[in-house]
Amino acid sequence: MNSRFIDWIWHVRGSVTLAPEQSSDDVFDRLDPLFRQYGTSHERTNDTLIFRKKDQAAQDKMSVFDGGVLQIEQGVSGSVLRYHLTSRALLFCFLAPLLFLGMAQLTIALSKHEKPSAEAADTSGKGRDAKKNADVPMNAIDKALGAPAPEKKDAGKAEGRNKKPSATSAYVFAAIFAALYLVGRILEDRLVKALFRKSLLGA
Amino acid sequence: MDGVRVGKRLIGTQAPVTIGWENIPRVEGGPVKQFIFTWFQPTVLFALLAFWYYAPNSIAKASTAVGIGIGFKVLLLGLEWVNPRHESWRLTWKELVTDLFYVGLGYTALRIVDDYIGDKVMVEAVQHYFHWDKFTWFMGLPLLVQAFLISFVFDFGQYWMHRGMHNWYPLWLPHSVHHYITQLNINKGAVGNPVELFLIGLGIGGFFDFLPRAFLLAGAFGMAIGTYQHINVRFNSPRWWRFLFNTTEHHSLHHSQDFEATRSNYSGSYIFIDRIFGTCIDGEAELLGMEGGRRMSIREQMTFPFTEGWKSLKERFGQPIATPAE
Repeated sequence: MNSRFIDWIWHVRGSVTLAPEQSSDDVFDRLDPLFRQYGTSHERTNDTLIFRKKDQAAQDKMSVFDGGVLQIEQGVSGSVLRYHLTSRALLFCFLAPLLFLGMAQLTIALSKHEKPSAEAADTSGKGRDAKKNADVPMNAIDKALGAPAPEKKDAGKAEGRNKKPSATSAYVFAAIFAALYLVGRILEDRLVKALFRKSLLGA
Repeated sequence: MDGVRVGKRLIGTQAPVTIGWENIPRVEGGPVKQFIFTWFQPTVLFALLAFWYYAPNSIAKASTAVGIGIGFKVLLLGLEWVNPRHESWRLTWKELVTDLFYVGLGYTALRIVDDYIGDKVMVEAVQHYFHWDKFTWFMGLPLLVQAFLISFVFDFGQYWMHRGMHNWYPLWLPHSVHHYITQLNINKGAVGNPVELFLIGLGIGGFFDFLPRAFLLAGAFGMAIGTYQHINVRFNSPRWWRFLFNTTEHHSLHHSQDFEATRSNYSGSYIFIDRIFGTCIDGEAELLGMEGGRRMSIREQMTFPFTEGWKSLKERFGQPIATPAE
């Protein structure tokens, strides 16, 4: 299978039209500050720039990308800067929902496994719970200030903190990452294009 | 860099820091903005306390607290957007994804682990072994006293665990990862190696029997104070607030690239614990991180304590490799 069918997940491709009189040197000189960042190495040949980033700072404007190639192509209607960038962060975000769905399955499997032993523990702990069922105290200050009286503890009901974890939060995070991926794939594509454009126009 | 003398220590000899409240910038803007960012923190704290104190039993539940917690974080994200403390700390898509990944781990994987070997399980085991009952007299105290004590006891434990992490190598290894963050945002508190996140979450609250409402009030203390440790918002926190409570200023200093500055402000919510033990420094820093601001990838954050630990063990106990004479 051609990898291009799936590599759009973490590969960002695009192009920026260059001014007619702009030379390759001028273009790469203007983009140069973007590649003089912490953890970034780059090589420049005539009309190609290859860069690689490792442990890039959060403040790096291209921090979402880990490497890429920028190439100047001469066309009939003028020259264009074509770029092909790769991002592990995008791939990670794409795969994250799977991780959280897996976590949900694990939670369900564990709670099924736990059920029989939890029931056994319930019967053994009844004596202690019954003792707790006595009156719940309320301080006179709280009574005077009008705080609602505490509910009596229900022996049959499990305490809130003793509840088994549910799979809901894992499903919620799977959905959050799916949404974040869509946002990131579109947003980062646009941002990098705008960044290149701004850098090329800037003095 | 000369640094500034604070007690016996020189702070800021390796990286820029600002020491002293008088040197910290104020919120810029009109009177409305000034008013909002001066009174936001106390208003939220007292409003939350009043809410949990008076909410009917049908509303005063953990699920309501979760809802409020999420809503509050979204609101703070909005504040980060409109009034950032430092432009260089602006939340990017990648930072948000990374932070939320750790938040997600906290809500899923860490919960599962906690259920088997967390503090609740340990406390129950100790109680069972010594035939101890819970300290039920605690329930008779006024609600706010109970709430404060729950959060204070937890924070006191967290202070010493955190201080231990900065002073004992085996504990430093899992915690070090959290210090590779290069900016503060509201979810950055969740970023770290899972081993550390498990350790810092340990408490002895399980020994006490308290009213559920007191627990919710304690959560309000944590949420309305502790959350501001990691946030990219500039506030004009009132003097009494920054004297008692940990602020993003204190915590940014703790995260600065200056080694001496990081050995301060260990508490989670109550900075007066640091004041008592002489580890508090009032100030702030913008340049954060380790190794000159190297940002660690998630993969390295997961493995670093183990690989570094292994390297150190090999250096200490490994066979020296014979180098051939030239």
